[in-house]
Amino acid sequence: MAGDAGQGNGQGSSQPSKARPGNRRVAQWTRGYARLPGIPDEYMAQDGTPRAVWTRFFDAFAELTPGDIERRFGSADRHLREAGVTYRAPGETAERHWPLSHLPLLIDEADWQQLTAGIVQRAELLELVLSDLYGEGRLIAENAVPAAAIAGSTEYLRAVCGIKPPGGRYLNMYAADVGRGPDGRWWVLGDRTQSPSGAGYALENRLVLSQAFTTLYKSMNVERVAPFFEAFRDALRASSDRDEPRIGLLTPGSFSETYFEHATLARYLGFLLVEGDDLAVSGDRIHIRTVAGLKRLDVLLRRVDSNSLDPLELDASSQLGVPGLIDVLRKNGVVVANMPGSGVMEARALLGFLPSLSRRFFGEDLKMPHIATWWCGQKSAREEVLSRLDEVAIEGAYGRGVPGFGRGPVLASELSASERERLKSAINDRGIDYVGQELVRLSTTPVWDQGRITPRPFVLRVFAAATPGGWTIMPGGFCRIADQPDARAVSMGDGARAADVWVVSDKAVSTATLLPTGDSVRIRRIAGWVPSRAADNLFWLGRYLERAEATLRLLRALGTQRESGKGSSTALHSVERIQRLLVTWGATSQATRAQPAKVAAEALQSQEKFGSALSLLRSAQRTATSLRERLSPDAWQVITEMTERLAEEVDDDDGVVVAAELTLQELASFAGLAQENMNRAAGWRFLEMGRRAERAINTVRFARQFAYDEAGSEDLDILLTLVDCQITYRSRYLVGPLLPPVRDLVVLDPYNPRSVAFQVSALNDHIASLPTLKEGGLIERPQRLAVALQATLTTAEAADLDTKSLFALEQDLLNLADAIGSHYFPHGPNASRPEKLTGLA
Amino acid sequence: VIYDIRHVTTYSYESPVGFARCSLRLEPRSGDGQQLVSHAVEIRPRPAERTVRHDFFGTHTESVLIETAHRNLRIDSRSRVSVLRRAPDRAAPSPAWESVRDVAFEATSLGPASPIGYVFASPLVPVQQPVTLYAALSFPPARGILAGALDLMHRIRTEFKYDPKATVISTPLDEVFEKRHGVCQDFAHVMIAGLRGLGLPAAYVSGYLRTIPPPGKPRLQGADATHAWVSLWCGEEIGWIGFDPTNDILVENDHIVLAVGRDFSDVSPVDGIIVGSRRQKLAVAVDVLLVE
Repeated sequence: MAGDAGQGNGQGSSQPSKARPGNRRVAQWTRGYARLPGIPDEYMAQDGTPRAVWTRFFDAFAELTPGDIERRFGSADRHLREAGVTYRAPGETAERHWPLSHLPLLIDEADWQQLTAGIVQRAELLELVLSDLYGEGRLIAENAVPAAAIAGSTEYLRAVCGIKPPGGRYLNMYAADVGRGPDGRWWVLGDRTQSPSGAGYALENRLVLSQAFTTLYKSMNVERVAPFFEAFRDALRASSDRDEPRIGLLTPGSFSETYFEHATLARYLGFLLVEGDDLAVSGDRIHIRTVAGLKRLDVLLRRVDSNSLDPLELDASSQLGVPGLIDVLRKNGVVVANMPGSGVMEARALLGFLPSLSRRFFGEDLKMPHIATWWCGQKSAREEVLSRLDEVAIEGAYGRGVPGFGRGPVLASELSASERERLKSAINDRGIDYVGQELVRLSTTPVWDQGRITPRPFVLRVFAAATPGGWTIMPGGFCRIADQPDARAVSMGDGARAADVWVVSDKAVSTATLLPTGDSVRIRRIAGWVPSRAADNLFWLGRYLERAEATLRLLRALGTQRESGKGSSTALHSVERIQRLLVTWGATSQATRAQPAKVAAEALQSQEKFGSALSLLRSAQRTATSLRERLSPDAWQVITEMTERLAEEVDDDDGVVVAAELTLQELASFAGLAQENMNRAAGWRFLEMGRRAERAINTVRFARQFAYDEAGSEDLDILLTLVDCQITYRSRYLVGPLLPPVRDLVVLDPYNPRSVAFQVSALNDHIASLPTLKEGGLIERPQRLAVALQATLTTAEAADLDTKSLFALEQDLLNLADAIGSHYFPHGPNASRPEKLTGLA
Repeated sequence: VIYDIRHVTTYSYESPVGFARCSLRLEPRSGDGQQLVSHAVEIRPRPAERTVRHDFFGTHTESVLIETAHRNLRIDSRSRVSVLRRAPDRAAPSPAWESVRDVAFEATSLGPASPIGYVFASPLVPVQQPVTLYAALSFPPARGILAGALDLMHRIRTEFKYDPKATVISTPLDEVFEKRHGVCQDFAHVMIAGLRGLGLPAAYVSGYLRTIPPPGKPRLQGADATHAWVSLWCGEEIGWIGFDPTNDILVENDHIVLAVGRDFSDVSPVDGIIVGSRRQKLAVAVDVLLVE
């Protein structure tokens, strides 16, 4: 086996050569490690000795103390959890945390070279086949590929036939699932040509493991994966005919299994994360709806399957695509990566034809084998499969399960006699639907199990990016490891783990990046306008958080009020007013008001009440999920942690106040992070506008409730506490709370960061900095309302305010918030979606 | 025979629609015993953009973009078509169905006329065992394909109830099959599903029927709307033959072909996306007059 030639520290043997304590520990870890019968293994080569690269790894690993190792494993797990690395199993709504295998998969460089040569050849071959299939069609005409092997695939898109892919190619990224075949050589288990997932998870796994084991990682000379992503990004950039193209990553949305990955990749590559709704066709091009109107989109990296891309020409029921997208491709108006229809190469029916296609195109054999596959659409192959029915697995020829038999693979040996006959006649009647495949048992790699290593089956996904200079392979990949020793297939749904993949070099690896030099990059400060949907989400994130803060402040006031004023009638009166607000806000129910002790607990963490602090934070978290690519990991972590903590059970009144306090502090720390870390040109303004609008509304509501025309000093005192103005008031006025000065401070004072006037002035500044959409030179509605409001507040005098004018002010603020929504987010939740014309016409 | 065809589609919306993007497949095709003489489509409100292309199946497809706010969208299509088809001989000998299947599987073209495009499931026509078994009763081993298909068509006509109220466009095939009722589209889809289950190449045809029957003949079902039937590939020699399971007849001079595809989703005469109104009403009126 290549790579076992005694390099590095290990000298190809695990026998302790010197009595170092580390060696004893390595011996302990690896004692009793045995390959599964007949299955190749990563740690142990075919001859039963450990591969050098693993020996080197464990020797270095042994430098760490046992406590240290566990600590680092723990920190890796924690990092993954905190960064919110999640996936969603098909059919589940909750996101799951990513289980990470603590040991990387190690592959030595020589071995890797062999693997990459095979992948590059295969990627190029698939590209050539695709461009013939959708173009000239010679392969079909000359029967190098049977027409039936293509026509059966739902990914063969007739709508795309004859369209020259803008950007010049079908595959921009290709991935292959690989493992070791029975002879120990790498072989391909499946091709991914639609829109391969996993690269973003690979990136995240690398980040986590390399941070947890910094020294070990450095000492192992692990090939870096960053240059791969840079090359991919540059290639997409170069595929457009515009100098600085706008690139979007099209996601199905936050309910998608791999949404986390879409957000990670978009953020890492600097692409806009978009959904179908964010895009519109106009004038032969795709545009993105932004807060500054429609902006041209040049390249679309899609994570939406082909058939869902265009309800006009493909699956009519799809809500994920862009109506008219295929026609834009026809007019060469956008680059879509991978080109719609590329998924046809995933069909198993084609596998058997690849060896001869390789000879046809390259004059050479495939460098890397794949699972032997017989397509039953051909007579000889069909007879072969039927004669060896018990030795093969039956699969669908096109990947839609096994027609008539549900999910594959189907093993004839496990069928009843009658089912077996049914299978045989199905293969005889419609052989085109089936393939027989050599039974595969996955090769194994070691996993860490309480101080020992043991072999577990794995699948490695290797990624290849098409660049102007040829195919680039990610040195590493996405490895999934089964948790059962015997696995025929691994999918993330059923208890599998992921592992980082280290391609290990003998020499120090270059740390130089492929970043362009300074002179070739034009300096830019504005990253482009925010997509309307993201702006909408940011606005609502701001509003939810601010509403949660106001609710918590009310709760806290309720707690202290009941504490301090037991029995006093004015205090009871104030308690009553606080509760009234909580009921109006949906934080607690009318019925609960009879039991004041329950009010606070319910308003804090009721699951049923949409206005409870917990519900509001959950809404904020949900909104933030759709903004993952725009929030810093720190900010995301604060939101997640505070929501989780608030959900923990609280036993008594004190506990409620303490929990409210704590959450208020965390909200402040989120606000601080946003203030300090968010780029002002991107979405920050909308987060701020949401916060300011909500705070203005809540403050007026507080003022109406506690600074009404007959309000006494107890009421005013509560108001000052609610809006955090006790100290300011006392420093200005030597008397106790009086109506006009309190109203002035809370509503009109432009210097008080909690006053209504301050919020309105901030809103005005934000609106003035946003682009105007064309409305014939007229002042736009949000600005008209905001300017008028500010004028009112600037010129008003405290003595003129009364309950009625406060109510009018509240209405004006609500109108302003609505105006912002319908102006900048016209396709938000209230807007009309594209509807399908229906009916038998 | 020469026909004048008027096909008016009207959408009425509850609230104004500011944007519509439609695909129209309203131009009858020429070929297979049919010749288009003239054709014009009038659209109100007037579209901002009209572009024409031929889709994969060779159907004349017009893409229309409307940016004027409207409550009614009216698409008025007029065509003059001359039809002259040879009457198919119901009793003619035809190859055994299994041999047609085997030849189809070996096709070396992916083009629209290649039988291989019509033996697999398509978006609206799944291949399901119950329907396949139903169809198989008409195809005992070695039976001629024509005889088998005529028998299947006859069984569908007699065992399924024609009921315009029974189904909507989205009624899935298995429900139609189980309840044994539907309209022309459903009859065609059921017959196609059964034939494909056996590996036989069956296409979906949309088109028109003459409104007033020849003297002494009954008025055919589906004459006042767009009609749909099945085209079956019967081997290299015979080629494609039209079967109308709604009326239990072979396609001759009373049928005018609009478009051919794998199922309704490939040929839908008017299809599109609107932004605006949630509720809509659709009215379709078809008139097919015999000119001479």
